[in-house]
Amino acid sequence: MLYALTVVVFVASVCLMGLSGWYAVRSRLVDDRLLLVAALLELGLLVQLVVCLAHLGRVPGGPGERATFAAYAVTLPFVPPAAAFLALKEKTRWSMGVVAVGAFAAGVMTARLQQIWNLRG
Amino acid sequence: MADGVRSTRSGPGILLVAVYGLLALAATGRSTLQILEYFSRAPLAYLLSAVAAVIYVVATVALARGDRTSRRVALVAISVELAGVLVVGLASYLAPSAFPDKTVWSHFGSGYGFVPLVLPMLGLAWLRRTARPAAPVAGPG
Repeated sequence: MLYALTVVVFVASVCLMGLSGWYAVRSRLVDDRLLLVAALLELGLLVQLVVCLAHLGRVPGGPGERATFAAYAVTLPFVPPAAAFLALKEKTRWSMGVVAVGAFAAGVMTARLQQIWNLRG
Repeated sequence: MADGVRSTRSGPGILLVAVYGLLALAATGRSTLQILEYFSRAPLAYLLSAVAAVIYVVATVALARGDRTSRRVALVAISVELAGVLVVGLASYLAPSAFPDKTVWSHFGSGYGFVPLVLPMLGLAWLRRTARPAAPVAGPG
């Protein structure tokens, strides 16, 4: 898969995690800047989904690995909208923690995708 | 919201709901795959994975709803969860042969950064704290 894409998505999720973590500490609420970073992450995840599905046939390992790979790729784009929804609904600093957790999960899952892809000999 | 008690989903509760939701997702995905693909390899461990997944889903929904019945459901689900992670965690060290493959709860959830061990404790503490009306300890926000 595109290693560069993984790096871009990973950096975007780290940015979102840092920003929302900082907002949580400073007791700031969701604003346009945070939503913009979340939207950029979402864009990357959607591109990643298309790329992953296009390369699904070349995923190494058995059907189990392939299913895991597809499940991660499909689940990922749901994470930022869900986190953003909660952040808009719950106007306390704690929802910034939700965004941080979501961004962390997105980063981990993206790394897992690359890890599975790297298994091919 | 619910009769004089604080909602389980506002304030810190929203974070709890989010983490529970994430674990529910991870456990459901993992156990579905394990049961469909390699069930014969470790039936006991994979059935426990499925049980864990169901408990996480129930706890997530109950905490997110937060009315009186949901609170009771959440209490039961989270108590079972705590018992499960302790029993399975201990058993995976004492009888590793019964757990050839990892589950969410084996080794006290070390594969998930011990979140499965800490989460039920936080959940029970949160249920206790929100059960008292207008807890004076609550800070602003």
